Amino acid sequence: MNDDRHVEVLLEQAGTQRRLGNWRTAIELCQRALALDPDHAHAHAALAFSLLGARRVSGALIEARLALAMDGNDTYCHYAMAAALEADRKLDEAWTHCMVVLESDTTDVDARVLGARIRHHRNERKEAIELLREALELEPSHVDTLSTLARFEMEAKDLASASEHIEQALRADPSDLEAHVVAGLIELVKGDTDAAERHARYVLGQDSTDRNGLELWAAIKARRSWILGLWWRFNVFISLRSETGQIALLIGGFIAIRVAIILLVAIDLFGPAKFLSYGWLAFCAYTWFAPEIFRWMLNNDLGTVKLDPNF
Amino acid sequence: MSYQIADEPHESSLSAYACKPDAPLLAMMMCGSWLAWPWFIFNSIALGSPTKRKEIGLCLLAVGGTFVLGWVVLELLAAGFITIGAPFKLCVLAISAWKLTIAYWVSTIQARTFHVYEYYGGTVKNSAAVISAGWYLADIVFSISDDPLWIIIVTGGPL
Repeated sequence: MNDDRHVEVLLEQAGTQRRLGNWRTAIELCQRALALDPDHAHAHAALAFSLLGARRVSGALIEARLALAMDGNDTYCHYAMAAALEADRKLDEAWTHCMVVLESDTTDVDARVLGARIRHHRNERKEAIELLREALELEPSHVDTLSTLARFEMEAKDLASASEHIEQALRADPSDLEAHVVAGLIELVKGDTDAAERHARYVLGQDSTDRNGLELWAAIKARRSWILGLWWRFNVFISLRSETGQIALLIGGFIAIRVAIILLVAIDLFGPAKFLSYGWLAFCAYTWFAPEIFRWMLNNDLGTVKLDPNF
Repeated sequence: MSYQIADEPHESSLSAYACKPDAPLLAMMMCGSWLAWPWFIFNSIALGSPTKRKEIGLCLLAVGGTFVLGWVVLELLAAGFITIGAPFKLCVLAISAWKLTIAYWVSTIQARTFHVYEYYGGTVKNSAAVISAGWYLADIVFSISDDPLWIIIVTGGPL
């Protein structure tokens, strides 16, 4: 087999592994393909997608940029770039690349789902739902479209539509882990933690390292524990921002508290200044130890996760 | 033969001493920047970070920037432009914010490499002993010089 053919076979295998969620194997296969042909734009783009699956966003960005530098007209490379930029919350740039894909292929369902995610993050919720409805018209039982739509509807508090779409998704593919995660989140929002736990158990029973499944499990734990629930909400609030936004928020909070303490002392209000000072210390200690307790609880629980045979 | 991804850590003979990037950040808050900056640099080398140059550059920028800001604040104080009460404290707060911003920044960059390092099964050292030792040694380090600029440079952040 010549190298070109070998590279194509490796990329095909990587695509299969990616669909199965075996990110590590997919990454290794792409690396092998690139060792044979380092200038293969599609191999760089495929590697970017595999890295995104493993949540290695900075690596994915570099690979997507390399892919685009090698073939700036290829829609698959633009698609990889849009996905990497969306994961890095660089939404305007991501939308520009997504538009290239959408304009060149008006029937691409996956690009519509990605476009919907980008627009949703840009708070263009109506447009995001519109894109998903277009995708559903093209492929009515596309599981990713149905799950994403259900997630957006859940966030918009339209729980009836969210439940309906996630049921459709699970009917289309009862083994889709992402659909189970969204179904669990919807149950959690409805207040049924036991039903949410059944979905989480299914996901972690299939793959105990599934990040979304672990996050659902953590959200269930947070719902059941008031003190950890506070940290979970704080964590979600922070993680919705870009890395720069997170740093700005934390440093801004620190400066605001310190300025308040200095000014309170300057006008001889020592009691409130002390209260703020100790409050800040308690907040720092809490945000430091809560995730450790959380991880410890999760690790303990994961040892007992078993797939419910009746589920 | 395999293709090296740009975010992958390189081989390092010090990898047995690598720790979470949270540890130097905590050292910044609990012990001071005298421990945090060298630790960030050491950890970057131990992890074999591909962004090592950037991380070391940021640490050096932090020390240089703190020196310049501290010198300016002390000169303003000596010239009577600011008084020793709240205005001086606000200026020192600005310097603390500068140090913390860069510490968070370096920690965020290093965390990306750390996740990949951990993903490939890299060993992680418990850092509690270093932080405890730093906590006890902090007063000794602070008392090395009476120069207020020294104190501004070696102290840490919000706690």
